[in-house]
Amino acid sequence: MATIDITKLRKVFGDENGEIVAVDDLDLTVEDGEFLVFVGPSGCGKTTTLRCIAGLEDVTSGTIEFDGRDVTDRRARERDVAMVFQNYALYPHMTVRKNIGFPLRLSTKQSSDEIDARVEEIAGLLGIDTLLEQKPRELSGGQQQRVALGRAIIRDPEVFLMDEPLSNLDAKLRSTMRTELQELQSELGVTTAYVTHDQTEAMAMGDRIVILEGGELQQVGTPSDVYRSPANEFVAGFIGSPSINAFTADVDGGLLTGPGGFEYALDDPSLVEGYDRVRVGVRPEDLRPEVDGAMPSEVTVVEEMGNENFLYARMGDVDLTARIESEIHPEEGVTVAFGFDEEDLYLFDPKTSESIKTKTSETDISYEQYVQPGPDQ
Amino acid sequence: MVLAAIQSRVRSSTAYRQLSDQVRYTRQGISDNVPTIPGLPYAYISPFFILFGVFLLFPTLYTLYLSFFNYVGVSNDILLQIQAGPLTVSIPAIANLEFVGLSHYERLIFRDSLFHTSLFNTSFIFLVQVPLMVGLGLATALVLDSKFIRAKGLFRTLIALPVATGLVAYSTIFLLLFNDQVGLINYALVQLGLSPVAWLGSAWGARITLVIAVTWRWLGYNMIILLAGLQTVPQQLYEAAEIDGASRWQKFRYVTLPQLRPVLLFVVVSSTIGTFQIFSEPYVITGGGPSNATITIVQYIYNQAFLQLNLGYASAVSVILVLIVSAMSIVQIHYGGDQDA
Amino acid sequence: MREEERNEALWRFGAYIFLMVIVVLVLIPLYWMIVAATIPQSEFFSWPPRLIPGLQWFDNFQALQENVDFLNSIGNSIIIAVAYTALSLVLCSMAGFAFAKYEFRFKEPLFYFILATLVLPIQLLIIPLFLLMVQIGWTNSYLAVILPWAANPLGIFLMRQNMQAIPESLLESARMDGATEFQLYYKIALPTMLPSLAALSIILFLNQWQAFLYPLVILQDPQMYTIPLALAELVGQQRVYFDQIMVATSLAVTPIFVVFLTMQQYFIKGILSGSVKQ
Repeated sequence: MATIDITKLRKVFGDENGEIVAVDDLDLTVEDGEFLVFVGPSGCGKTTTLRCIAGLEDVTSGTIEFDGRDVTDRRARERDVAMVFQNYALYPHMTVRKNIGFPLRLSTKQSSDEIDARVEEIAGLLGIDTLLEQKPRELSGGQQQRVALGRAIIRDPEVFLMDEPLSNLDAKLRSTMRTELQELQSELGVTTAYVTHDQTEAMAMGDRIVILEGGELQQVGTPSDVYRSPANEFVAGFIGSPSINAFTADVDGGLLTGPGGFEYALDDPSLVEGYDRVRVGVRPEDLRPEVDGAMPSEVTVVEEMGNENFLYARMGDVDLTARIESEIHPEEGVTVAFGFDEEDLYLFDPKTSESIKTKTSETDISYEQYVQPGPDQ
Repeated sequence: MVLAAIQSRVRSSTAYRQLSDQVRYTRQGISDNVPTIPGLPYAYISPFFILFGVFLLFPTLYTLYLSFFNYVGVSNDILLQIQAGPLTVSIPAIANLEFVGLSHYERLIFRDSLFHTSLFNTSFIFLVQVPLMVGLGLATALVLDSKFIRAKGLFRTLIALPVATGLVAYSTIFLLLFNDQVGLINYALVQLGLSPVAWLGSAWGARITLVIAVTWRWLGYNMIILLAGLQTVPQQLYEAAEIDGASRWQKFRYVTLPQLRPVLLFVVVSSTIGTFQIFSEPYVITGGGPSNATITIVQYIYNQAFLQLNLGYASAVSVILVLIVSAMSIVQIHYGGDQDA
Repeated sequence: MREEERNEALWRFGAYIFLMVIVVLVLIPLYWMIVAATIPQSEFFSWPPRLIPGLQWFDNFQALQENVDFLNSIGNSIIIAVAYTALSLVLCSMAGFAFAKYEFRFKEPLFYFILATLVLPIQLLIIPLFLLMVQIGWTNSYLAVILPWAANPLGIFLMRQNMQAIPESLLESARMDGATEFQLYYKIALPTMLPSLAALSIILFLNQWQAFLYPLVILQDPQMYTIPLALAELVGQQRVYFDQIMVATSLAVTPIFVVFLTMQQYFIKGILSGSVKQ
């Protein structure tokens, strides 16, 4: 187990034709035993960062330390890290047994018998002990995934790296494996860095989430942090599904006016002091139809999901999305006014995109009254 | 089956496992102590390039060089001597040579009638053989590609069988088959009430024998390549053409042929190159005869170089041969490659 | 409609007849080889010739062996072809691996240079190679035949082409599992390339097995003759013994037929992989 310290990490790809900065001055610490998820759109530098930690890429500048040991110039095989690849990278010519045992055969002096015993133990843990003599191409996607996991955990690595390991699985299997992975990680307690482009996966799995964009760190925080208190408009837009509704509004004292007749009077005008204009953000789940609501908009599409309805609407030239109760289904073409609570409102600086105001609603509702007495009490 | 059982027995035995572990530890010890070579890719490619340079690149250039010289004899001169401490490495000159400029080429092009004969013979084989073989190969491949043919694999295997025969080996069979006195072919002709043909005893008979032999050897080879090409033609194209009411011929003309064009071009070009390099067949079947009626260019090179030791002159013939083959390939690729069907 | 059906039936019938004719024409020479190898020479010159195989193969073989040491030639051919194939496989797969999976200076120019030499006909090389071998005293040696085409341009091309299909992550995964760079080559790349290696070995082996012109020039001692040279020797003798020649020919082609029939898929893969070089 190890703490990973990344200091001023910079990685530039390039040749005579030009340079691409994949990771730019990244400072980050992954705590011992933590499950840290890197997320961002493609090309944001998340995979490059992971590969730098793995030792598969040379870093341009900066350092990477495991528990205070500088490993920046160490090769992958000297770092004691294990990685699960998106396509699993199972050795096609080896049986499952050989695949899982491969790291031990290469880098330890354990005897064949010891290795076999260890392979069987790991296979049992992952529920693939009946597949040991098969070749990878005979296995289903989920089984291959488990073999890849087995190969990664067999030598108790200090650090566990995963590069979109679930993206080749179908939706149902993906959510099962998500839970299994989490259980496995907390059982083993290995420091884990996990890359995904899927924010739902990031929210569901990460102890903390790292959001990258254009090679630059946007925010690091718990799922609740990045959802409720995004550092900027990019994070607010990237986290949460469907995406946050955002548009520009003019500021007049405490009054915000915007496209299509948007009009909202802030309870606390001091928030926007000094701004002429401001970016307004409201999450779809915080919108509700309201008499005299601030956002009059024309409903274009209604999607009934059963437990809730998604409304797509236009307010002036802005497209809005709202998640509302399944009982309310307005007809397409009617104009409905949507309202929200000020504590759910986000405001961003229109120039820097930095957050001015994020969610302030209650997060810690006491649940003690619901706790059932345990058997020994 | 038995072997596999024995193998798995041996592999699971304690002694084998201990031994293999020992081997593994030793290997680990070695690989841990060998430093990573910074120029690793160069280490991978250098054995190849050393042999490549000495045995392929150097001779190619030397042939070109030699074509401007007369070979006088083996040389005892030292070309280069390197003294490195106690070690002396000396590279001897390869041959004694006499510079003659372009005179080999001049003689070849304007005065050497035997060379012209060999050029004619080779061209004849090329002109008859390549269309015949490619046409037959295409026809066979087309028929084998038809949906209704059963036992495709069997037909393919049998027709491709000659691909596995060596060049000299199959030539000896044709030498026997076309023997004027005891050959099966003449026997068959007589049985059919025809008169026997002087296959190997006449100029045209010998040339045609060579064409038949080479076609037999390479038909299956070309069929395999063309068949693979046909199988890459998308089935939907045929279905679309069928819906449009295309006849069998129209489907071939407007779907198969354009799709097959690159493969067909490859077959034609490689057959051309192969035909111009033909050597074993005339050497074995006709010996170049009768009276040089089937001598090919390569056979002429061989005779000049190794029977008469005119190595310089033979080099000039080689250079001409390469030029002819390259020119033919370029022409074929030019006219076959970019124009739309 | 009925006419169309009749045409279709005729077409199919014609197609089968065509295939049958081709098959018969292909098989006649091979059948004749068997007949000629198994009957005594005396029956050969009788008229009409015999059309069914006899039982004299072994007698003919003994006569052949007394005439020229053909078993020795088979041995020479096996040694040369096997050593050549093994050496060439190692050279081509190593260099192909480097070209497929590493970045280095001059990689592209070097590779295209090799590709360009694919078109060089062997006749261009024979005279200097002969002079070279004479000069260093290697004529009548195995090495003189094995080494020159071991650095096979087609081989390196095929290996690079196929090894490019090895996923990068497979090698990276092995690196993280503790493999050295050399282990990547022989523990990961080579085993995953087995089908391609099989196809390439068939091409290489067959080329060397039937090589004629170059060995003819280099190997002049009958003790060093390969199979094609021994066959040519038999054909060139004062008196031609067709029974012996056909025994020798049958011995030359049978092993390759066995390989062809048992490993046809690799054989065909080999032929086809040579044809994608365009």
